[in-house]
Amino acid sequence: MSVDIYWRIAMEGDQRSLRRKGASRGGFAPEVPGALAPGGRDDYTHADYMAQVARASEAAGFVGGLLPSFPHTDDPWAAAATLAGETSTYRFMVAFQPGFLHPVKAAHMSATLQRATGGRVVYNIISGGGGPQQLWWGDRVDHDDRYARTSEFLDVLKGVWRGDFTHKGRFYQVEDAGLPESLTGLPFPQVYFSGSSPAAIAAAGRHADYYLSWLEPFEALAEKFGQVRAHSVTPPKFAVRIDVLARETEEEAWEEIRRGWTSAARGTGAGDSVGWRRSQSFVAGAGDDHRDLEVQPNVWGGFDRLRAGPAFGLVGDYRQVAARLNELIALGVDAFILAGVPHLEEALRVGEHVLPLLTKGTSK
Amino acid sequence: MNVRGGGITPAVHITLPAGGWRPPALPGFVTDPRPEAPGPLDHLGRIGRAAELAGLDGVLVPFDPAGQDTFVVAAGLLRRSRHVRVAAGFHAGIATPVYAAKLSASLQRFSGDRLDWRLTVDLDTRTARSQGDFLEGPDRYARAEEFLTVAKGVWHEGEFTFEGRFYQVLGGGLPFPLSGRVFPRVHLSGTSPEAVALSARHADVHVFSPDDDIESLIDRLPGVAYGLRLPVLAREDDGEARTAAGRIGFSGLTGSYEAVADAIRGYARRGVSEFFVETAPHVEETYRLGEHLLPLLAKETHHVG
Repeated sequence: MSVDIYWRIAMEGDQRSLRRKGASRGGFAPEVPGALAPGGRDDYTHADYMAQVARASEAAGFVGGLLPSFPHTDDPWAAAATLAGETSTYRFMVAFQPGFLHPVKAAHMSATLQRATGGRVVYNIISGGGGPQQLWWGDRVDHDDRYARTSEFLDVLKGVWRGDFTHKGRFYQVEDAGLPESLTGLPFPQVYFSGSSPAAIAAAGRHADYYLSWLEPFEALAEKFGQVRAHSVTPPKFAVRIDVLARETEEEAWEEIRRGWTSAARGTGAGDSVGWRRSQSFVAGAGDDHRDLEVQPNVWGGFDRLRAGPAFGLVGDYRQVAARLNELIALGVDAFILAGVPHLEEALRVGEHVLPLLTKGTSK
Repeated sequence: MNVRGGGITPAVHITLPAGGWRPPALPGFVTDPRPEAPGPLDHLGRIGRAAELAGLDGVLVPFDPAGQDTFVVAAGLLRRSRHVRVAAGFHAGIATPVYAAKLSASLQRFSGDRLDWRLTVDLDTRTARSQGDFLEGPDRYARAEEFLTVAKGVWHEGEFTFEGRFYQVLGGGLPFPLSGRVFPRVHLSGTSPEAVALSARHADVHVFSPDDDIESLIDRLPGVAYGLRLPVLAREDDGEARTAAGRIGFSGLTGSYEAVADAIRGYARRGVSEFFVETAPHVEETYRLGEHLLPLLAKETHHVG
């Protein structure tokens, strides 16, 4: 069985490096000299930059990209539909929260995109992690109920996909729903399911093709996968979302981190996300030096200080980063969503220097 | 609507078909490298490009549950064009207004603010229920009113809080750079008191049907632009147009380019500025409109100016 390796698209704009926070690409910051694709004077917009990242990822050997969704990002459905015609094998992993979109609409959008791309849509279903953000979105359903709703949402979505579907549930009701004839018979998108709480893990057991976790210390990750297996009749595959900072030498890689660390500010938060609290617990009590957050060789828990997003990632030379990925494969990981800043250049770098070093069946 | 040379040129939009398109199969011995089924954006994208190149003002992607998803199609058309406006048809049951606003803000960022909204309020009961939408009667207008209020609220206000019958938002508001884009022009239609009241509050364009009592509706809807859904079949002369119409059983505005231009000018004098033309086959007729009809409408403008 083969391992699927994705590369993230920066829906929040991209920054020049991890040395200084602040998006200079895609119009997410006030325009300054050197800002790229802001959509102003030259008409090029963030869609053009994202298209280049998608094409570069495709060329570098990635199967596709994760298009994340937060209040401050561009919308992944809009981006996937915009870029659908501009790649040939690239899969669009669309992140979305079931609460915002009706499942009939989600089915219709997905099937249209499946038809337009030859079946290259993948779902990253997000349920929790909202907190105050959830009300920003106009969604009042609370944390555990959101997973119940996600389950029902996917039941309805799959029912509509099959056709002739009638349903009366707690969150949704439909009568004789289905897709138009020109959109039937398409493959249902693979489901990547995130969430670290017990409610999430229970729902993942029912619906996930892939259970997707942020990177954590490997032991914790293995334990989490064990819980998901225990809660599933048919266990899903496992995927990990990992930032990588890989360089020719170890020193070069850590120097990049050190520079970012010196200019970084402390303290963020992520609502009622259990995954977020977990990741913070692994670095609780760490000292002030950036290397204090290296919880095991090359596994560093400070990425959230250098750019918006999860805490853990891999730092090291090309061989070290590849070795850690190999260990994760040995641990049972079937798919990776890798990322690096800036996403364009780092996609090319990782594709050229790290991916060729991956092996199966060895841990060192 | 375009202002050129001091006058107003009616804006002409082409209405996309809902259905897919499939070319006939070639005989087996003829080399055919095409993929099995063309994607929805191949055919619809071709019509959008035709509208762009033929100088039309816009493309309407009408809501039709038997067709393709309108936002996916609209995004594809916007990506393939630089000038035409693209109106996506949808009803309020598809998503929360916050989400609809956010998705649309991204499309405005990607397209230079060329997305419009064609909001369908009335749906027949069967269609509505197959869409998971069980709301009926005047409530549908009440929900549409809230939907547009919330969507515009989060679009224009930094901190938007709303507590309504259908939607709640706390501290919403699109952040930079999603904020500051132009809100999609809102197209609405309908003749009922509820429809007219909704348009008076929220429409940028109220779209009539050819058999509506246009004068009386215009009187009740000051301050909005007026549009017209218009089936058109235009040819070199009236006889040719009638023959073509007879062949396909066409009913609608039929005649020579001059006659059709006259009819459109007539509507324009009554205040209608946006024409949503329905015609087929789409690519061919779009080029025909661009090459034969638009110059006549533009010429009229210069005389006025």
